[in-house]
Amino acid sequence: MGYDLNRLRNVSGQVAVVGVGDTDYGKDYEAARQARQAGADETGELDSYGLGALAFRRALEDSGLKKSDIDGIVVGGPMVHQRMCEILGINPVWGDSGPSDLMVPQAVQAIASGACTTVALIYGNAQRSMGTRYGGGGIGPDQPTSYYYYHPWGWSSQGAHYAMMFKAHQLMYGSTEEQLGTVSRTIRNHAMLNDNAVMRTPITEEDYNNARYISRPLKIYDYCLVNDGGVALILTTKERAQDLPKPTVLVSGFGRATAEVDATQLRDRMFDLYHSVLKASSDQCFGMSGTTTKDVSHFQTYDAFSVHLPVNLEGFGFCKPGEGMEYIQDGRITIGGELPCNTSGGMLSESYMQSWNHQVEAVRQLRHEAGRRQVVGAQNSMYCHHGSGGAYSIMYSRGV
Amino acid sequence: MTERRPNRTLGPNHDTFWSYCNRGEFRLQQCNTCQKLQWPPTPMCDDCLSDQFTWTPMSGKAKINTYCIFDRPYYKECPPPWEAMLVELDEGPLFMTNPKDFSVEGDGITRGTPVKVTFLDCEDDHGPFKLPVFELA
Repeated sequence: MGYDLNRLRNVSGQVAVVGVGDTDYGKDYEAARQARQAGADETGELDSYGLGALAFRRALEDSGLKKSDIDGIVVGGPMVHQRMCEILGINPVWGDSGPSDLMVPQAVQAIASGACTTVALIYGNAQRSMGTRYGGGGIGPDQPTSYYYYHPWGWSSQGAHYAMMFKAHQLMYGSTEEQLGTVSRTIRNHAMLNDNAVMRTPITEEDYNNARYISRPLKIYDYCLVNDGGVALILTTKERAQDLPKPTVLVSGFGRATAEVDATQLRDRMFDLYHSVLKASSDQCFGMSGTTTKDVSHFQTYDAFSVHLPVNLEGFGFCKPGEGMEYIQDGRITIGGELPCNTSGGMLSESYMQSWNHQVEAVRQLRHEAGRRQVVGAQNSMYCHHGSGGAYSIMYSRGV
Repeated sequence: MTERRPNRTLGPNHDTFWSYCNRGEFRLQQCNTCQKLQWPPTPMCDDCLSDQFTWTPMSGKAKINTYCIFDRPYYKECPPPWEAMLVELDEGPLFMTNPKDFSVEGDGITRGTPVKVTFLDCEDDHGPFKLPVFELA
């Protein structure tokens, strides 16, 4: 029962990411802010589909492929698959919808199995313009049960999950708010090297310490942005990738481990800090790609909340459970440090693209086209996520 | 005094939980076949797939697991600072709740602090109900 590593290894490195595209996160955010200050509403010029379509066109240009080469479409964010295909004028022979953690591996498997040849994965989300809320009485049964079941006790929001998780980490290991502040401050410094990032002013220790709480013990800087944007990736076979202009970036591994049992009670989240599923997911990813933590040049972690990062580093084996807050200190996670993390500014400071922007940054780093924020000699970039009910990982490797 | 609260999730099995609460009884669904306790209410035992349950009284004793305090308002009925905590019932399940007559940031409150169930008179769009909350044991 479970995955078969021998067969997974046959898929490792067979599919490449050949195109990446994103929208003008910083410029769009600033334009909306100025419109609001001038008394207009804050609605951006593009809806989710428009943002996704723009990112797709940029990814296609980046890849050197033609629209007619695309025969698979994946859609992420608040969009309907059929409508996105109609807007782009594509009749795919394969398709799916979902989050990046699941959809990048799905697309790899579709291409490796021969179901299609070249997949465009397209995410668009005009969440700020739409006034999307991530907590409160409007959340209902289209979301995980823990997001709405505790309304009568006044408990909701993704942030509250992470506030309680950080409190559990504090109670178990004695970690402090000052230690956690290193995450937001480091990632903001990385965003300052990315002209497309939404937030590019430094966060000082004093700023962090004096910041207002949202759900104690988490402060505003521990929360990701809410902004409009789109992202697209284009995946195809390794053979086709080798004929294209950009350096080849291969998907060499992925992993998925779930903790759905008692997820509403938050059992694995609060007793185990998801260490078990994080380890299982990374074991699969390392096993499939034939790598270990020592081979990882660059780490991109889902960072809807700052506390994701230390917990994920613990679960993935970069340090021991309980040591994540120590591990992230002293420049270790900065560009030039031992394990550069979230180098484009992540979701805390670049753009809240529900992890799709993390995939783009992994590709740019491995192509060695990340400019001022380039991790010198990057060979393997690992992506990691834990969310309600599971942990996910993807390994990207620079092709030879 | 009756407190206004955000709406409960109602429906099959959920209604049964709340009707016991309204009698001042804290009961959870327990599988007749494998005895696993279920929370929240479910149509089928997640361990053995039985659909035969007994609503078993809980002791009401629990220990604090973790907590948070909302400083941003998420509900008009729950003004900040709003305290919530997750407690581990002596019988095993984890239960999201509110502290009654104490603050989670009070002296000596930590993981493992013993608490016990009590009921608050509340009301939502579906009518009056009794809400299980926990006070220091």
